[in-house]
Amino acid sequence: MKQFGKIFKFELKYYLKNKIFVGITLFLVIVMGLVMFLPRIADAIGTGDGEVAIERPVLLVKPDVPENADVVKQIFTESFTDYEVQVTTDDDAVIKESILAEKAECAFVMSSPTSFKYYVNNLSLYDMNTEIATAVLQQIYQINAMIGGGMTPEQATDVMNISITSEVESLGKDQAENFFYTYIMIFALYMVILLYGQMVATNVATEKSSRAMELLVTSARPTAMMFGKVLSSCLAGFMQLVVIFGSSVLFYNINEEYWGDIMIINSIFNIPTELLVYMLIFFALGFLVYAFMFGAVGSTASKLEDINTSVMPVTLLFVAGFMVVIFSMSSGDIDNTLMTVCSYIPFTSPMAMFTRIAMSSVAWYEIAISIGILVASTVGIGALAAKIYRMGILLYGTPPKIGTILKLAFTKQ
Amino acid sequence: MILELKNIDKSFGEKEVLRGVTFSAEGGKAFGLLGRNGAGKTTTIRILMNVFPANGGEVLIDGKPIDYNRIGIGYLPEERGLYPKKLIIDQLTYFAELKGMSKKDAVKSIDYWLDRLAMTEYRNKRLDTLSKGNQQKIQLITALAHDPDIVILDEPFSGLDPVNAMLLKDVVKEQIAKGKIVLFSSHQMSYIEEFCDSIAILNAGKVAISGDLHDIKRNYPRDRLVVRAEDPAPIMEELKDACSLNEKGELLIKLTSAGEKRAMMARLAANFDFDEIRVFEPSLNDIFVEYAGNAPQGE
Repeated sequence: MKQFGKIFKFELKYYLKNKIFVGITLFLVIVMGLVMFLPRIADAIGTGDGEVAIERPVLLVKPDVPENADVVKQIFTESFTDYEVQVTTDDDAVIKESILAEKAECAFVMSSPTSFKYYVNNLSLYDMNTEIATAVLQQIYQINAMIGGGMTPEQATDVMNISITSEVESLGKDQAENFFYTYIMIFALYMVILLYGQMVATNVATEKSSRAMELLVTSARPTAMMFGKVLSSCLAGFMQLVVIFGSSVLFYNINEEYWGDIMIINSIFNIPTELLVYMLIFFALGFLVYAFMFGAVGSTASKLEDINTSVMPVTLLFVAGFMVVIFSMSSGDIDNTLMTVCSYIPFTSPMAMFTRIAMSSVAWYEIAISIGILVASTVGIGALAAKIYRMGILLYGTPPKIGTILKLAFTKQ
Repeated sequence: MILELKNIDKSFGEKEVLRGVTFSAEGGKAFGLLGRNGAGKTTTIRILMNVFPANGGEVLIDGKPIDYNRIGIGYLPEERGLYPKKLIIDQLTYFAELKGMSKKDAVKSIDYWLDRLAMTEYRNKRLDTLSKGNQQKIQLITALAHDPDIVILDEPFSGLDPVNAMLLKDVVKEQIAKGKIVLFSSHQMSYIEEFCDSIAILNAGKVAISGDLHDIKRNYPRDRLVVRAEDPAPIMEELKDACSLNEKGELLIKLTSAGEKRAMMARLAANFDFDEIRVFEPSLNDIFVEYAGNAPQGE
């Protein structure tokens, strides 16, 4: 236990004194600070020298008949508020040239009240202009038809603009609101586990390749070495997360009034406490499961160059779990069979079960079973990893295959 | 204090690495553990240091099973290596603390050893800024700082210049004088002969020979003569297959028995001109070649 304490302290000091570790943490804190102060900075610049003129892109419209020019301009201007709408009577060729010359961003050429051609230089994936134009023209056509049928223009406009009131009450979780913070937390979990797991493996392999292990193995128990390394990296990773997220929360609170009503930001900074507790539990257990595996695998590599190949199976297992979670989140079907199964498998449950808790309604006993399996697996994997580590650190030469590693672990010394 | 290894067996899977290894080493004396590469020296040392258990046999101190909480062991491994990017004082303190010292005692002892080995100026430097010989001196401190009862030195002189080798010799003599058990493992036989009173030669996991070095030499059959002559050709012609030239250009004459010694000396003195004649006494190198030489190796 005393040795564990010494190793834990020594390894933690390694992280906290590591210039890259400190540099990345500070960099991310500064980036978060800049992002959080952005609205305040924008506000300060905006009120400084009066309104800054925003140059809007030009949208050209060629009406089907010149008489409609005014109506078309008015309606398009109302519907395309991000554009400066200009009516044109030029030929299509001239319009195309204007777009290519970047005098205008896009153009609508109407051949009748119900048909048009849309010109744009590069069609963006998110270009919704044709849908907007279609809706506008449909509305004009319907109003005209109603007026033709005997209604007054006011009546026709009222019919078209009738507003429906509605209210949504989600009895479970609101996925739209939870999506962003769940995504951020899962991504943080993913990054931290991969980054620190790799660091644990590299750390062990460095000790082996520098032969410091020769001395270390005669000075400390392998279990103390393994647990000291893994738990110190777990704490270092956790400290980094706390510093980055903590400073973000602090910066947000300083600038809260400038952020206004932006749903994503509000949801991110109003994560329920209960979820933070779950995050902590799944982060710690998930981290330990993978760090033990990375440590054990790292102990079988003799050279630093072997590390990437050696840790590949562990990395792939983790990435597969991450993919399942991310695809399920994007599909909206959080409780699909695969996710349900994954939320009990210790290699995937830290992400899968956490996502289900955050974005869906999961019964308490399901959470308890998942955490129970994860705790038992962490202990089991930790013990197995310590056995592999004990043998692995004395092995030199070509890294053994997974089968050989497991055989080693179960061989009585 | 007497350290004994009794009938130590060790296998890795199907492979038998040590078979009934038995030897004993006394406090206040140096012991040489010899053998070719792969003979089982490192495995023996690791079992002695409790890195892994033996399959059979026991490690005793004064007749009782060794208590690793009470008996300190210092080790200078053959494969040198510490943390290249870390400060020397940090890593030396770390290793001393792992050996059970308090931080305060560790720093005090390390400062003493840095001074003793003329390394104080490197105290707060990174290890990779030091020359190989100086790195080795730092590594030696990890073996001695916690004032161990047993000091195991694996190839301690390799890579040291003559001045540093002399410094290390003094340190080793000091440790022996303090009554510690100093266990040497080396292929440099001259150092073993200089320091060690007793030896054990391992051959393919077995002790081929062990005991007091003088006794081993004395018990060697005295049935060979060494003759130094300006022109050895006439003697060689006379004795034909019974004699050969050694690497020093001396004649080595094999007798049919030790009793023939005086008769052969008289015969040579009567018939040939030579500068020196003596009974052959093997060097440690000769003993090593004979006992460690020909068995299949591999660990």
